[in-house]
Amino acid sequence: MATKSSIRSSEFASNPNIRFVWYGVVALVLSVVHVVFLRFLEVSSVTPDLLLVFTVWVALVEGQFTGMIAGFLCGLLFDVVSTDVIGTNALAKTFAGFIAGYFYREGFAAEQIGSSRFMFIVALAALVHNLIYNFFFLRPMQTSFMMFFLQYGVASTLYTTTAAVFPMLYTNRKKE
Amino acid sequence: MRGFIEFVVRFKNAITLIVLVVMSLSFMSIGNLSDLGGFRAVIVGSIGWIQSVFAWIPNPVALKAENTALRELNLQLAVEAARSRQAMLENATLRSMLKLPAMTDHRLIAADVIGKTTTQQRNYATINMGRADGVREDMSVINDAGLVGIVIGASEHFAVLQLLINRDTRVSAKVQRTRVDGIVQWEGENILVLKNVPRTLDVRVGDRILTSNYSARYPANIVIGTVRMADDEANTLFRRIVVDPSVNFSTLEQVFVVDAKPNPERLALERRIDERTPGRIAP
Repeated sequence: MATKSSIRSSEFASNPNIRFVWYGVVALVLSVVHVVFLRFLEVSSVTPDLLLVFTVWVALVEGQFTGMIAGFLCGLLFDVVSTDVIGTNALAKTFAGFIAGYFYREGFAAEQIGSSRFMFIVALAALVHNLIYNFFFLRPMQTSFMMFFLQYGVASTLYTTTAAVFPMLYTNRKKE
Repeated sequence: MRGFIEFVVRFKNAITLIVLVVMSLSFMSIGNLSDLGGFRAVIVGSIGWIQSVFAWIPNPVALKAENTALRELNLQLAVEAARSRQAMLENATLRSMLKLPAMTDHRLIAADVIGKTTTQQRNYATINMGRADGVREDMSVINDAGLVGIVIGASEHFAVLQLLINRDTRVSAKVQRTRVDGIVQWEGENILVLKNVPRTLDVRVGDRILTSNYSARYPANIVIGTVRMADDEANTLFRRIVVDPSVNFSTLEQVFVVDAKPNPERLALERRIDERTPGRIAP
């Protein structure tokens, strides 16, 4: 049983096709979870952005190039399922993947994700993501960008960073 | 060509970023749900179906917010209902007051009660009309139900009334049915008493009590109240007649000042007689 599992694990690590299909499935599940179930975790209209955490994960495992594409596709997927203006999340998450990709170090993905460094990267990516997203979100409105960003952007960044604790702990335990 | 490929490979991340940003902005410029037609509608419909499947799971945060919103709405509606009830009552009062001019020959000055006490030994009310509006001391005050009191002081824009339910108030009164005379006095709470009525005279429960024609201070035939109890007083020759005031003083809001002053010559004469014969109750 243990042998079968390790074979599957090595196949997953070595075969990029399987990995990317797997990323696609996870992104799809996370976007549905976000739209359907995250209302239960809503605090003052703020929810953690699971797809952003996933984008950062992919960027740290696969690199900046894949991270950007993953961010773009995750954002596009989310825009479609959440009835948001198509392209806003795609743009914001592309930049999040771009930022997270800067921290990519080949062969050290587990070390990065399993440490508090992961939370720092998620926080930075979320901050940039929310800045871009709120800019486009508020563009047609009369609301003050700074006030809105401080109220919702920062809160969303903190909540998303908090949600990043779970993959961090999971990877940390798996690493040990 | 090779140089171009090398350039692309070298700056692939930057080029990818630019391409993806351009694509995102293009998508944003196409815009909304309807532009993408049926495809997005199917996805939104599917998500909606999944949401409806799990809609039975309660969301405590949303429930709390909804509860708060409903409480606020409830409060607003309660305030509106109270205002509406108040307006209806005011409407009914004002409608009945419109019939008042027919009850008296004198001009009536309409006023709002802006302050009052109804729980003390000497109860007064303040109205929002004063000397500038023609209100003078000793003018009597009525409303649609009957006698309210008398003006005891007036400034330019306000006047103070001594209410019927004041221990200093005495009104010369008569029983409407039998024309029996007496003096109405307040005995605390909501009780008026018709005094000086001999046992032999006919007064019954339900009889209406009006101001008397003998009164120097109050116009005649203004309703004071209705007899609630008429018993023989122990050890005296008089009856104890308890009268319910027709005016509800606890809800008094609009009144009319009767623009008629008592004859000063008559008042002066009666005061002179009072001084000479202590114990006489002036009508």
